[in-house]
Amino acid sequence: MSSTNAKPAMRSAAWRISLWATLAFAAGTMVVFFVLDRVVATDIHRRVDAWLSGEVEVLADVAERTPNDALYNRVVGEVAELAAHEVPNRLPSDDSDENRSSFPNNSVFFLQSGADGSLKLWVGPGEGRSYASAVLASRIVVDRPTDIQVPGSRTPFRVASVPIKDGSRVYLGLSERDQLRVLRNLRTRFFLLWLSLVLLGFAIVFLTSRRMLSHVRRISEAATHIGHSDLGTRVPTSNRNDEIAHLALTLNGMLDRIESSMHQLHTITDSLAHDLRSPLTAIRGKLESSLSGTREGEQSDAIVSAIEELDRLTDFLNKSLDVAEAQADALRLTRTEIDLDELLRAMVELYEPSMTERGLKVSLVSHGPIWITGDAGLLHRMTANLFDNELRHLPSESSLTIRLETLENAARLTVEDKGPGFDEQILPSLFQRRIRGKHSTGHGLGLAFIDAVVRAHGGTITASNAEGGGACIVIVLPAHQPDHGRTLAAAAV
Amino acid sequence: MRILLVEDEHEIQSFLKQALTEAGYQVCLAPDGKSAEGLAVTHSYDILIVDLGLPDQDGISLILRLRQMGVVAPVLILSARRSVDDRVRGLEQGGDDYLTKPFALAELLARLRNLLKRNAPAATEATRLRVMDLELDLLRREASRSGHRLQLTPQEFVLLEYLCRNAGRVVTRSMILEKVWGMRIQPDTNVVDVHIYRLRGKVDGQGQQPLIRTLRGVGYVINER
Repeated sequence: MSSTNAKPAMRSAAWRISLWATLAFAAGTMVVFFVLDRVVATDIHRRVDAWLSGEVEVLADVAERTPNDALYNRVVGEVAELAAHEVPNRLPSDDSDENRSSFPNNSVFFLQSGADGSLKLWVGPGEGRSYASAVLASRIVVDRPTDIQVPGSRTPFRVASVPIKDGSRVYLGLSERDQLRVLRNLRTRFFLLWLSLVLLGFAIVFLTSRRMLSHVRRISEAATHIGHSDLGTRVPTSNRNDEIAHLALTLNGMLDRIESSMHQLHTITDSLAHDLRSPLTAIRGKLESSLSGTREGEQSDAIVSAIEELDRLTDFLNKSLDVAEAQADALRLTRTEIDLDELLRAMVELYEPSMTERGLKVSLVSHGPIWITGDAGLLHRMTANLFDNELRHLPSESSLTIRLETLENAARLTVEDKGPGFDEQILPSLFQRRIRGKHSTGHGLGLAFIDAVVRAHGGTITASNAEGGGACIVIVLPAHQPDHGRTLAAAAV
Repeated sequence: MRILLVEDEHEIQSFLKQALTEAGYQVCLAPDGKSAEGLAVTHSYDILIVDLGLPDQDGISLILRLRQMGVVAPVLILSARRSVDDRVRGLEQGGDDYLTKPFALAELLARLRNLLKRNAPAATEATRLRVMDLELDLLRREASRSGHRLQLTPQEFVLLEYLCRNAGRVVTRSMILEKVWGMRIQPDTNVVDVHIYRLRGKVDGQGQQPLIRTLRGVGYVINER
């Protein structure tokens, strides 16, 4: 769980998934709102046009019927004013008292032009000259309302016109300001709605996918752990019947099969070991019994060498089976906390007399405890193999340096000698079984065994020849959990 | 001292019985778990040697059952398996011991002695060890021969102490490695021999009567000749 907190949310898969999902969702809803907006705008236009056409007909009718006398202007003006109060899309704010008597909020005008283009009658805001010239300048198709830009007004007017029999024309104009305001309000609401939908969608997708992916992460954490420790544990499963639950089940099924084949391998090697060790035990015991009965001499020499051969055979058997198991990544470890520094000091102490006797100079360079988690028995045998190897192959008067260093989360063990180095021909396949140098007297399992133990501990091993001559083996083993290791190291000091 | 030997392999049975009898133990044989249960209930034994691979049941189950039946004698487990079972480790912590096959007789005898000693009432720990004219002061970690102080390294002292504690008894190389260096390893080279050789140079030097003897094919023994 702590890894989630350490990892920024921006880099998580949940973040990416929700980002893309939200983008798609936002684009989709945007299209829907755009279409809605278009539909509403068209409808408003249609209603305005219908009103204009209807009212202008009525006005034209009134203008036609009303006798052209002193009362004409008043009658037609009143009718036009009445019509103006029924303007569609009017906003409540327009119903203020000062606008009630005249044309509301300068949004409607009525204009009658004479046959000669003169202004015959004007009902509307202001003088009407500028409106008249703008209207007359534009060519209005009969019976089709048209947009006309009037000087002094920011919004265009929608104007419908009808000819009257006396040659004059009646124009009715409606400012588009109110429609635009309605549309603007609508768009603002649409936008706010869209924004909250998108944010809500993002939050839902992010939280859901993070929850699902956290299950995936738990599975992968468990799987990693299983790879490094025992095969007995399983990844966590959920009772939901989704893909992730299936993944967990599939992984567990795979682990079952791996565990069963591992178990089979162990059974085979165990029974092989058992079948070979029982007769070896009997032979060794009998040889030992007969040895105690004989006096020193030729016969006892033969028995002694037979016992020694038998012990070598046993060791070879053990190592072969270990290497075989390790190459199948099936070496069984009993893990404890081990101080490599202490282990190496004890080992150097053990081997130092033999080395000195052969004229070899051995030195250990180490700066205090380095804790790792590992199998003490296997690590002892591994180091013994390394030292045996040096002891057998180094010509006298050579020197040997063992260096132990701490790397980040790892311990590095370097074994460097000033001998003839590895046989270049076998260097690439040095850690394989049965690989021996030309002059080697071993059974060719030593380095394979070392490699096996290192691999079983999750480490790496490399062998090379130094430029100035001499062999160099570098082993890197993962260190113990840092926090735990530090307290242990502190306790050791 | 009565031993119950639970082992199904006839060949191993016979040589073990012979060797144990020669070492002064009274040996009872049980070829399988069932007969072992019967014998353990009706007779009293000082120690049990149990092979893990019995024909009728698992050796560990047998030991656990015997413990339930009230058998308290320590158990030496013989195992031909490769890895040491966790359950064996559990028993080891409970005061029992294990030995992997094949083994040296000397080691088997040494482990039996250890198990019996563990069960015996604790004798007051000696602070001095004596083998003829060789004397070890265990508190001051000093050794002297015929009154002359020996210049030993701490490790050499531990080695000599181990030999002297087992004076007159054979110790094998792997026993030395386990008890003195704390490692269960089998070196391909003669590392232990060189240590003994050095120690011998200091203990048996200057024309004195040799104390540390090599038994070829078996191990070492320190005793008076």
